[in-house]
Formats: sequence, structure tokens, C-alpha cells
Amino acid sequence: MSTASTLHYDEGFKPNDRSLQEIVKKASEVIVPLGDINNFAARSPWAGLEHQTFDQVAKRLKETGDIDMYPNHAIVSSAARKGEIDLAILEDGLNAWLDEQLICLPRELAKEYCRNVLQQESNSFTTRELPGAKTAALWYSKYFSPTKNKHSILTMSQRVQQPGNESLVENVNLHVIKWCKLYLDESLAVWSMPNKEAGFYAAWRQMAKYDRTLTHETRRQLDQLNQNAEQALMEVLHNMDIPKTEWQEYLEAHLLALPGWAGMIRSREEESEALLLEYLAMRLSLEYVFVKEYLPLPEPVQDDVQLIEKLVISWIEFGRVRLEDWAALEPEEIKARLMLANRFDSFVQGRLWLEAWEKTYEKNLQECLPTNPTTIEEAKTIAAQFAFCIDVRSETFRRHLERSGPFETFGTAGFFGLPIETNELASSNSHNSLPIMFKPSHKVLESTDRDQLEQYIERAHTAHSVGKTFKTMKQNMLTSLLLPEISGPWLSIQTLARSFIPQKAGEVMRQMSEKWLKKPMTKLTLHSPDEGAGELPVGFTEEEQVFYVRQALQTMSLTENFAPLVVICGHGSQSRNNPYASALDCGACGGASSQFNARVLATLCNLSNVRETLAKEGIHIPEDTVFAAAEHITSLDELKFTYLPVLPVAAKNSFELIQGALPTVRKSVNAERLAQLPTLHPDCPDPEEEVRRFADDWSEVRPEWGLARNAGFIIGERTLTEDCDLEGRVFLQNYQWQLDPTGDILASIIAGPALVAQWINLQYYASTVAPHYYGSGNKATQTITAGVGVMQGNASDLLFGLPWQSVMMSDEEAYHAPIRLLVVVQAPKYRVQQILEQNAEFRQKLQNGWIRLSCIDPDGIWHSFS
Amino acid sequence: MSWPLLFLIFLGLSLGSGLCILHPQVPLRFIRIHIGMLALAPIAALLGLIFSKGDYFLGVLHFDSLSWLWSLFVLTIGLIVQRYCVHYLLGDKSYRKYFALLTITTSADALAWLSDDVRLLFIGWGLTLFCLTVLIGLRKEWKVAQHAAKVSRGYLLASLLALGLALFWLAYSTGEWRLSTILTPDTLGLLSGYEKTGINLLLLVSALIPAAQWPTHRWLLDSVVTPTPISAVMHAGIVNAGSIMLARFSPLFNGDLAQIILLVIAGLSVLIGTGIMLVQVDYKRQLVGSTIAQMGFMLVQCALGAYLAAITHAVLHGLFKSTLFLQAGSAAKAKAPVTSKDQAASVIWTVAGGALGTLIGLGLWLTAKGEGYQLISALLLGWSIALAWAQLVAAHPTATGKIAGFFLLVAGGLVFKVVHTLFYNILQGTIDSDFHQPFILSIIVLVVLLAAIVCGTWLIRRNNKVSFALYLWLVRLGEPKKRLAESHPNYLAQLLTKEGNYQ
Repeated sequence: MSTASTLHYDEGFKPNDRSLQEIVKKASEVIVPLGDINNFAARSPWAGLEHQTFDQVAKRLKETGDIDMYPNHAIVSSAARKGEIDLAILEDGLNAWLDEQLICLPRELAKEYCRNVLQQESNSFTTRELPGAKTAALWYSKYFSPTKNKHSILTMSQRVQQPGNESLVENVNLHVIKWCKLYLDESLAVWSMPNKEAGFYAAWRQMAKYDRTLTHETRRQLDQLNQNAEQALMEVLHNMDIPKTEWQEYLEAHLLALPGWAGMIRSREEESEALLLEYLAMRLSLEYVFVKEYLPLPEPVQDDVQLIEKLVISWIEFGRVRLEDWAALEPEEIKARLMLANRFDSFVQGRLWLEAWEKTYEKNLQECLPTNPTTIEEAKTIAAQFAFCIDVRSETFRRHLERSGPFETFGTAGFFGLPIETNELASSNSHNSLPIMFKPSHKVLESTDRDQLEQYIERAHTAHSVGKTFKTMKQNMLTSLLLPEISGPWLSIQTLARSFIPQKAGEVMRQMSEKWLKKPMTKLTLHSPDEGAGELPVGFTEEEQVFYVRQALQTMSLTENFAPLVVICGHGSQSRNNPYASALDCGACGGASSQFNARVLATLCNLSNVRETLAKEGIHIPEDTVFAAAEHITSLDELKFTYLPVLPVAAKNSFELIQGALPTVRKSVNAERLAQLPTLHPDCPDPEEEVRRFADDWSEVRPEWGLARNAGFIIGERTLTEDCDLEGRVFLQNYQWQLDPTGDILASIIAGPALVAQWINLQYYASTVAPHYYGSGNKATQTITAGVGVMQGNASDLLFGLPWQSVMMSDEEAYHAPIRLLVVVQAPKYRVQQILEQNAEFRQKLQNGWIRLSCIDPDGIWHSFS
Repeated sequence: MSWPLLFLIFLGLSLGSGLCILHPQVPLRFIRIHIGMLALAPIAALLGLIFSKGDYFLGVLHFDSLSWLWSLFVLTIGLIVQRYCVHYLLGDKSYRKYFALLTITTSADALAWLSDDVRLLFIGWGLTLFCLTVLIGLRKEWKVAQHAAKVSRGYLLASLLALGLALFWLAYSTGEWRLSTILTPDTLGLLSGYEKTGINLLLLVSALIPAAQWPTHRWLLDSVVTPTPISAVMHAGIVNAGSIMLARFSPLFNGDLAQIILLVIAGLSVLIGTGIMLVQVDYKRQLVGSTIAQMGFMLVQCALGAYLAAITHAVLHGLFKSTLFLQAGSAAKAKAPVTSKDQAASVIWTVAGGALGTLIGLGLWLTAKGEGYQLISALLLGWSIALAWAQLVAAHPTATGKIAGFFLLVAGGLVFKVVHTLFYNILQGTIDSDFHQPFILSIIVLVVLLAAIVCGTWLIRRNNKVSFALYLWLVRLGEPKKRLAESHPNYLAQLLTKEGNYQ
């Protein structure tokens, strides 16, 4: 097994001993489980691969799917032109790399060659023909043989070469896509796939013999498949002569063919066990009947001469030598030169560029932050304190808010440490309002008194009945024929309004809905859980209330100097006709607005018993300090209060001060954000109106930029960052190491918020470097399928990343900068080392290049761990 | 100044501004002005529809209520769609081309059906279809879009050829180019029976293909690869042209064998389109299935001689379907914020709804002037009322809910009635409505529809061999073939690697 291969069996554990179930389970780590698009929570597509280095995974994906994990040359050279990559840093990286190579070549010669390659061509192995190079290559193959990498395993359908150079994978894929969408359909089809309840494999096996897109012979063969999915999979693997040691990688290759559908299947395993195995059984059975006639396939051979020829051409192009001059070189030198060119492949180039980009960012950040940040300012009177989510969009808003008045802001993960499942008023759909890697341990319901609730439900029912009637009529053949004539006039009015007066139309529709629904005042069920058997407890015990409040306050380092008014701010986004709406909501709340959690925390903080207990422990919340909750609407830069208890005088003054400041804040943030968004009239006279249009226009594909361009995660005091414009690119988590003697708080920040941020970062990264594979394709040509996700065009993999428009300025210009997250901790170096020792998972991320880490010690000295 | 002239000037202006956008030196903000220009022609058409009376000829153009209405409709759809593209396609490599091509498509569409000269009609409609296929294939880098454009080109070219042949044959046999002259009983009398049938069959083909009727439905399904607004314009303004075509040629078409063939094919398409819609799980493909069925229904109306109803249906369906396409992003609606209790409505209330539907349906039919199509119309309306009643009124547990639902029902009914009366008043007189198909045809259609519902419901519940086969047959009809889909949109990765574009 070489580096390119990916099998890392545990020591002393023979693969042969494992059952097929276990192998499938292990193989499933190459894909990530996916949720519905309505709960779009960020996931790193490589979350299960972090035991390998970034480079290893990059090589494998290139071999198996032609996917570039390093930003390509067009992106990096554009970044270099914009000054985002310091070429001196790139040169340093190149030098360091050359130092490791131990190749007997003059340094200047080697360097010039490499430099030219880096600057000019995305790929040194040009396919350009050069007369004579082939003969030369044939000659040189005597001296030099390129190191043979063991290739990643490809599927049989990938390896079959049909006439026209088309592989059979697309055939297999199209069938698999069809069956997946039919099976996974949640609501869209009236006549859904028969026999679903028998299970995926069984239902497919029973149906496939009637599928006339297959030939008669193929259908006959499918009919003979084993009834048991596991047996069938085993038989197919045997029939294709896949050695048992390679089963896992073979299955992985199949999962990587359609990571979206496979990921959706994987996430359904909670409901139906071994679903992924059934999926693989179906997929491989189909593959087998398609490739059967081509078996056995010839083993792929590596053509040394061809490879050497490419290396020679590369030298001639970038080493500025002529072919004739090569003849005069010593064999040893030729060998050295070829070796250098061979090693300096596209992965090394990509890595050098990426690291230079990241280091440039780090350098700029370092220069921006003050060198001696711990100077304690004189205590000024703070009118109000705000706790925002760490989300990068908060940074812009906080910066402007702080400058508009005597306000202090804090950053903490938007679920505020509350592991809750939430239920909005009269809804039976609960939502896990916490980062997706955690499980909820409490349930919080919105409630109101019975009379009001019933009336509210009735009103909501009436409001929904129109839509429901529409749907019922659409699904009935007779009424559907008349439906356009009945609903056409109404829809036309709506269309005209949405097209020509989007803001007004949006406003009117919102108001009408609010007026009709009149949602009553609600309470939250926070107290005394009566433990339902097996279910989550509803609410918290008194100890738990104290625990969560203490934890939240400590995590955001707000344990003293309370202002009269403390506002806990969740965030959500407003946009229309946007299937990715929830991608713009809070990532720490599982792709929903975090205002619910904010309200829960604020209410808990106001409880007198909680405050009393906390006071005994040394956290004194003054009696006239009031906690309120608000929602930061990121697409409008508005702050909307969602929970406001009765305010004493001081708090009331603060509140009025806030209300007075918000319009200016909004205006300036609007202007800053608008400058980044592509628009037809950049010199728009009324930015506020234009921002409102972005949010309310049903044709807008970029209602806001979301978390695009995110790059850093700073864990430290606000004094460190408050004077710099971080351009909305940095997650900000408040942290004061002096208040954390055990390091527990830092450990929990690294385990929670930092992980969420890394997943978000890698999702944006992946959607930018491989938009077709890890992104969601073009928004304009998407179709929503099975009610769970989107496909591109007529049919495709279930796309699960961010759409093209969310990371690209246009078809020709990238907006997101694909660099890996830089975590900066403001704490002594030993504290960070302690975390690395304790948290093996985090250490692995760092060592394998999935995240970057630095710390700023109390003396203001910057240490890099990457 | 006369309305037609004003209209033509405005149309010319919008074409001019549309073409201006193509010039790379014109700043993008000009597109906002272009949208303003685009709004002028439909406004003129609206005023023309209201204020000009009777037939009016301007050169080879023929302005009557039907052509005014059609221009208003097509150009309004064009305006809405282009306004939608302004933000939706911003950043696309071919951004400018979309506006120019859409402007030509809708203008040519409007001109084609305004034209009284068969040559201009052919050129106008040909240009419309040509621009449409260019729009479908505008993503040069995307192989799938190229293939889809090729498929569409094949089908639409065939339909255009059929139209060209029919028109040429007609002109050749009658010696006239002007429709207003050709379509008089005297001139038509010059045609022999087989000539009539031949021309009608060609016309039939040229109407069936754009309407994506079975078995020529493929192109419409495969062309959903195009950006959403292009689908909207296609489903709203182009697929339904068959209605105005057949309405215009009704003096020739009525009573011919071709009409019966049309009835059969369109009837089958209603069933097949509905079937595709029922089994598909893709939102956009469901919409295409629905379009196939709706166009089938429109052509059934034509076949039964109810041209007025067909035009009304074509226009309202166009507005309906374009809205559904444009809001396709909302199809994965989050679960309703309030979970409504699905209570079984009380039997009495449901029966009352059924009775109401039956009564109204019966009343409609009895008061109608005995046209066969009225029977179908009455059935559909009665059924709709019963169903809406069940959902809006009967399903509510409380009195207030029932009252609110009742008001919604009445409002819906009133608007329906008003709109239909309006259309009837506008179009009356423009189409020869004296012709009636034998009553038995309507009965047959009715029986087939009802039988299909009964059989369909039975099969869905049965889960046997036949239902599996039928299910998979419908799935297969709706699924793309190889080359018309790819697992990952690889062209995006290629766009990313193009250096030099990054400025």
C-alpha cells in the first residue's frame, strides 16, 4: 500500500475477518450523511477522511473522480493579482520544498524551473506534442523510472472502455439516480414507488424486471439476483473477482461516484438499518450486469515512456532548455532533472500556492491585530451588552454597533451552549437547535393558554387551507385541468406584484399574514421536567438551569461588569424563493434561526433562583440588569427584539439608546455589504431600499453573501480585535484565558464552535474548488427533487454543497477565497499545547492539514502550530 | 395616431434596446432601461384591446381582439421573464444574449399571430422557435444543454416544416397569400377534400409538436435543463400556440378528419401527461408533465370546436405555469409552521359539497347552449367545487373557520366567473363559433376521463404486475435519456479553470 492508497487498517486487524456489514460501515466514512435541504447544516465533505492527510485525500480524489482539491491555477493567479498571495511567501515555500528533495541539481536551476512551472501553467504535464521528445524519452527510460504509485482502485464500470471513450459509469449512475429519487421521495409524487415498505433493495429487485429501459437479457439477469441484499452484494463482488482485501476500497469508489445520493441514503440509516448496504447491493448488481460482457478487464498498465516524455516536455517548456542541449547532459543530471519534474507535480504546486495564500492571510491578520492587546482601558460606562453568534457576519454588524454608542459586544456560538430540541407554537415538527454533531438533551416548547392556542390554530388552518386546496386540486386529474383557470388570475396578480414591486409585495404579504395569524404571546417551557419515558425531558431542572446559564456566561467571558441591559442575539436570514434559505441561517443551530435559543437563554438568565445560585458562586448579576433576546437579520442588518421583559429605568434608557442607534448601524452595514454584492447599479441612491430588494426579490440568487470568504476563527478578547476591520471574514469567540484556569472552557470551544466553523469553512472551500462535485451547481438550472434536495438539469447526483452563485461573483470570477480555517487562540502557548494533547481529534485535524492553528501569547507573540 | 401603429413603434423600440444590450460597450445598467422599454408594447396592446373596435388591417398585419389579446399575453410574459432574468442570471457568461434573444422570441411570437400573410406568419413563428432553441443551448460549455438544444431543434424543425408545407400548399392551391382571403368559404371551396385533409394533417403536426403531445413530448421534458425563466417563457408563450393556430384556421379545420385525430392524440396526452406528473418526483419535470396534460386539454377543446375556451385556457395556463416555474425555488417548502390536524370532515358537510358541485354543474350544463364541450366543462367545474368545498369548508371544525373558508370559495368562484365572462366578451365574434362537434364525442371524452380515473385509482391500490409495469412506463416516459443528464455538472469545473477570464 502506498501513500496514494487509502486503506489504513487498524494494526493487527485482518480485513478478512470483517463481515460485509462492517466493511460497508467503514467504507461509508468517505461520504457524509446529508440532511434535507430545509435544514441545510454545514458539513465538511471530508469529515470522515481526516485520519488521512489533506494531500493524500487530494491525490485519491484526483485519481478516482478527477476532482481538484487544491485551488486551480486560475483561482490562485487571480488571488495573486489581487495581492492576496505574497509571492515572497510562495518563494519561501518553494525553497523549503526544494530543501527536502535531496536532488543533485544546482539550486538556481531547480528553482528557476519550479518557479516557471508555478507561475505559468496549472499543470506541468502538458499534452503538447514535441517532435523528438518521444525518442528522447525512450532513451532516458533506461536511466530513470518514475516511482510507481499504487493507483487507487477504480470501479469496473469506470474501467470499461467503450467505443467513443465513454465509461459505463454514467449508465450505472443514471439508473441509481432514478431509483434513489423514487425511493427517497418524501412528498412530491402522488403515486409513489410501490413496495417501498419492503426495503430499498427488495423493492428495487421486484420492480427492476419491469423497467424497459433495460434490455430483456439484463432484466432476466436482475431477476435472478439473490433476494438478500448482503448475499447479493457478496456474490457480485465474487463474480467480479474483487479480492476481499480490496472490498472496502472498491465500495468506497462506488460511494464516491454519487456522494450526494449515497449520503442521503446514509443519513436514513437511522430509520432503516443497513440501507447503505442495500444501496450498494443495488448499485453493484447493476454494474455487474452492465460490465459482465467485458469481463475480465485488462489490468491498467503505467506507460513509463509516456510519462517521461511529459517530463521532458515540461523541462523544455519551463526549464528553458532545448531538446538538443539535453543530449549533452550527463546521465546523472538528466536523471536528477526528470526526478525533480516528476516530484514537482500538480499536487505540490497546488499545496505551495494554497499554503502561500494561507500564510499571506495569516501575516496580514497578524499585522492588523494590535501587538500588545492586553492593556486594560479605563472602565467606561457601558449602556448595553450584546452577545452575538460567532458567525462571520456578526463581525461587521458588531463593529458598526460598537462604534455607534456605549455598547459592548461578545461572540459565542449561536446555540449558546443549549442542547435543545425546539418546538414552535402549535407545531409538531421539532428541530434540533444545536450543532449537528451533538444530540439534544432537552426539549423546549412554545406555549400559550388553551383558548388562544385553539383560535390561533384555527386561523393558521384557514390560512393554509388555500395552499392545501391548491395542492389537492393539482393532484386530481379532473380538477387539475381546470386549476389554471381558477388560480391563474390570482397567481398573475402575485407574479406582477413580485416582479415589479418586490419590496412592497413582500411587505404587504408579511403584514397580511401577521395580521391574520395574530400569533399570541407565548411562554417557553423551561421548568421542572416531568420525565417522559424514553423521551427528552421537557424543560430543565433548577440545577440544569444554573448549569447552562453559568456555562453560557463563562463561555462568552461575561461574568462581571454587567450592563443594565444584556441582549442575547440570535440570527436568521430573510430571502424569497431560495431553496438555500436555511444555509443563510445559523449553522450552530442546525440551519435555523438562533433566535429561539437566544430567547431561552435570556429567559433563563432573568430567573431569580438562577441568579441567587450564581451569586453564591461568585457571578453577581446586579438586580437591575435585564436580559433580553433579539434576532439579527443578516440579509437586512436589522436587530429585532423577540423577548423584552419589563425594563427598569436604567435598562429602559439603554433600550432607547439602542433603538436610536440601530438605524445608523443598519445604514452603514447595508452600505458595506452592498459594495460586495453584484448589482446592476452600484451607485444606488438608497442602499437600504436596495438591500430590502435583495431580501424580498423572488428572482434574487444572492440575497446576501452568507459566510463566503470566511477565513479565520479568533478565540480571544474583544480588545484584541475591536480596532480592526476584519472584513466579515472571521468567526469571533470571546475568551479570557485568565478566567479559565483548568482550560475546560477552551477545550469546549475547540470541541464545539471551532468544529462548526471548520465544517462551514471546508464546505465553502469544497464548493469553490470543486463546484460540480461538492457544490450545488448553478441555481438557475436546478430542480428540486423528491422534496429533499436539488439536482442539476435533467438529473444528477443530489447536490449538497453551496450553489455556484453563493461562492462566485460571476461565471468568471470567484468570490470566496478557498483557504483552510486559521484558528487563533489568545492564550499562553502551553494552554494550546495542552488542548492538542487532550483532544486527539483536533490534533489530527491540525497534523493532517484540515485546519490551521496559531496562538497569541500574553506577551503578544504569535506562535504558529501549522 | 392609431393603436396598431403605436404598438408597432413600441415593439420596434424594445427590439432595438434588446439588440443594443448585445454590444459589450453598453453598460449593464442599461438593462434597467430596456425593461422599461419592454413594458411599453404590452401596455399599448392592452389599450388597443380595450379601445380599438373590430378588425383593422395595417399592411399585412391583422388586428382584432384575438391578436391583441395574444400579443398582450405573450409580451407580458416576456416582460415578466426578462425582469426576472435581471437578477436571476446576473453573472452568467451569456447574460446579455438572454435579453436580446428573449426580446426577439416574444416579439416574433406576437408578430406571427398578428400576421395576415402566411409568409410572415411562417417567418415569425420560425424565428420564435429558432431563438428558443438557441436559448436552450446558450450554455455552450454544458454538453447536456447542447444535447437538449439539439433534441428540441429536431422536433421543432419538424413542426416548422409541417407548418411551412401546409401554408405553402394552402397558398398554392388557393392562389392567395392573405389569411383573411384564404379562410373565407368561397376560397376554401377551391380545395378538394383530400387537399383539405392533407393540409389539416400538416397543421395538426405543427400544432402537436410545440404542445409536446405524446409521442412528441420528449423535447419539452429534456429542455428543462435550461435556466428557469427560459422554461417559464416556453411553457407560457410557446407551447400553447396551437390554440391560436387552430382557432385561426378553424374554418378550414372544422369538421375534418384531422379534428378527430387531434381529439384522440390530445386525449391520450391528457392521460399520459397526468400520469407523468403523478409519478415524477422532480418539481420541474412534474410541471412539464402537467403542461403536457394541460395542452392536451386545450387541444381537446379545439377538437370539440370550443376555441374560445381553448384560448382562455391557453392564456390562463400560461400565466399559471410561468408563475409556478418562477417560484420553483420554493418547492421544497419547509414544513408548515403550524401542524394542522387532519380531521376527517363530517360526512354531512362533504355530501353537501358534493351536492353543491352536482347542482352547479347540472345548472351550468342545462343553461348552456347545448354545446358538447359544455358537458365536460360542467363536470370539471362541479367536481372542482365539491373538492374545494371539502378542503375549504368541510374540513374546518369550527363555524368561523367554515365561514372564512366559504368566503374564500365564493371569492374564487366569483373571480373565475368574472374572468371567463371577460374573455368571452373579448373574444366573441373573432372566432367562428357556430360549428359543433357531434354530442357523442363529448360523451366519449367524458367516459374516457372518468374511466381513466377509476382504472388509475384501482391500479395504484392494487400493486400488481400491471401496475408495476404502468408505473415504470410512466417513469420511463418522464426520465431523461443518456447524454441528456450527467452525474455532476462538470462544465462548472471547466469554467473555473479558464484562465484569463479572471479579471
